[in-house]
Amino acid sequence: MEDSEMSIDGTEDLLGLISGPFSSSYISPPSESAELAALMCGLIALYAVIRIILEQDVMRKLPFLNVFSFAVSGIMALLIPHPLGIIAAATYFIGSTFESNAIASTWAGGVEE
Amino acid sequence: MISSFLQIAFAAICCWVLFITIDMIWALPREGGVVGAKAIAAAVEKTGGDLRGGTMMGNIVSSPDASAGTLLAACGVYCFGIPGGLIATVLVYIGNRICYDPGYAGTTGCFLATFMVYLGTQIGIPAEFFIIGMVIAILTIQGISHRHSSRLLGAIWRIRR
Amino acid sequence: MGRRGGGMNTLLLIFCAIALIGGLYAGFARDPYAKLIAIGIIAGGVMPLIIARGYVDVAAALALIIPLSTIFVLQLCKKGAA
Repeated sequence: MEDSEMSIDGTEDLLGLISGPFSSSYISPPSESAELAALMCGLIALYAVIRIILEQDVMRKLPFLNVFSFAVSGIMALLIPHPLGIIAAATYFIGSTFESNAIASTWAGGVEE
Repeated sequence: MISSFLQIAFAAICCWVLFITIDMIWALPREGGVVGAKAIAAAVEKTGGDLRGGTMMGNIVSSPDASAGTLLAACGVYCFGIPGGLIATVLVYIGNRICYDPGYAGTTGCFLATFMVYLGTQIGIPAEFFIIGMVIAILTIQGISHRHSSRLLGAIWRIRR
Repeated sequence: MGRRGGGMNTLLLIFCAIALIGGLYAGFARDPYAKLIAIGIIAGGVMPLIIARGYVDVAAALALIIPLSTIFVLQLCKKGAA
């Protein structure tokens, strides 16, 4: 057993082993203002999901889905302060917009030539 | 803590003004555009909203416009500074072409927002507050009441006319 | 050394809840377009969970794959029907 800390801290260190990217020094974890922003984005995402479920008309669900995509893109960029974060956030946002566009077009009867 | 919320509110107002101005300049509420935007506009009008405002909301959903550009510019400046914002501008341009949108609302929005967010960081508002500010701004337009926000957008469009 | 702060734990919990709610709604929705929207919600709920583990490239790849599969499903829906 290499670290004797394991027997002392128990489950706390076990959680530390499965923590994620911030245990290495490649990326710094998000700062406290970024955590506040991410938490607010998460609450807005939850609110948007509830509004999507409660809305009756299918076409009116799409603006709420757009709000949800904004919130998720924001969180994806906030969690990783590294250039790859923009790539992931932009890819997710453009994919989600393309999907909403396709849903709206197919509902409306397809693209007329 | 209170000053953080004040800074977030200020960033939200800046983002709101920027994206609505650029979208009005590029005439997003004008009729025409993608089929999906027309369907969403019709659905918004059925609840008692304004048709021009509904068209703009439909265009925001169907293609990356100035609102998306501002969000990705803020993400870019947060992750990588001004070069990050310029990378985001290129990505928004590609996204516009993928979504069959021939306009430049998203690209110009992202470009101008990069400098706005950078100026904000120089004043002392960190870039992450612009990210959450933009999400709050789009929440007020598309996430609370479609009827009232489409009427507001229609009124602004009539001023622009 | 690698412990997550309390804020991150709350965030991941919120997104687990979003993914579950989206999945339940996808199961119980009647309208086919509502089901497709719910698949989009599941995808959006899962993305931050993948990012929080550090798999940024996997998340970017999934962000391309999931909307593409939704579009393939849309090609099964008849034009304007339902």
